[in-house]
Amino acid sequence: MSADSSRLGRASAAFGMAAAITTLFNTGLACVKDAYHPLTNLMNAIAGNNWTTQGLADVILFVGLGLTFSKTRMVQTIRPDRLIVFLAAAAVVSGVGLFAWYWVF
Amino acid sequence: MNVTANDAILLAHATFGVLGTVSALWVFVETLNARDQNLQRIRTAALAVAIFMIAAWILGGYWYLHFYPVERAMILQGPWPFAHNVFMETKEHLFLMTLILSFYLPIAARDKLASSAAARRMVLCVAALIALSGLAIEGSGAVIDHGVKVALLRPSGAEIRK
Repeated sequence: MSADSSRLGRASAAFGMAAAITTLFNTGLACVKDAYHPLTNLMNAIAGNNWTTQGLADVILFVGLGLTFSKTRMVQTIRPDRLIVFLAAAAVVSGVGLFAWYWVF
Repeated sequence: MNVTANDAILLAHATFGVLGTVSALWVFVETLNARDQNLQRIRTAALAVAIFMIAAWILGGYWYLHFYPVERAMILQGPWPFAHNVFMETKEHLFLMTLILSFYLPIAARDKLASSAAARRMVLCVAALIALSGLAIEGSGAVIDHGVKVALLRPSGAEIRK
């Protein structure tokens, strides 16, 4: 295996980590706003609807983290397979977590 | 034929969601055979995923804010309240995850797919997640739609229709 085949590009690694973190943030925020209505009211006031605010917050977080990680190169030191597993795990936990949250509560 | 803005926006939302999901599958299959000759096609398909999902987001968001409250009231009065309480709540938040992954896919597809196995695995993973979550979201849409239908068809549905 060549060195090239074992690494992700800087942008791919940085925004991959940003996507994983944003995915977890999205699920966490959905659960917290569902349980804590003052937060829902605040999010309703920001963009007219809490779901709109959440979508915009997700996009801003994803772009902000991606650009930050791209500059620091910190994420590139993580082994690609670990990053891929982290992203996949974050997506599965987020999806199952959302369904479980609304099913139970 | 009487197709309202409500109908057109809802159907366009679902259509763009399906197109985004199918495009993610296209990216997945192309990436399995990634080489220099099909790199541009992979990147174009990845960009198509993002564009289709953004269209689904805007149209779905508009419909959700302007037309869904009436249907939500019907569902909650009907025999399938979980169509909203579980499936719509999950769908509307799960979609945001799919959207973020769709934004990321064109970035991952810009990597050196022909020479980097890690880059290919990342694109395969993200495309698969988008396709699978897209299918789950489409299925949830069907449950929500049926939630409205059973509310209108039940014996007391006439009261809701008023």
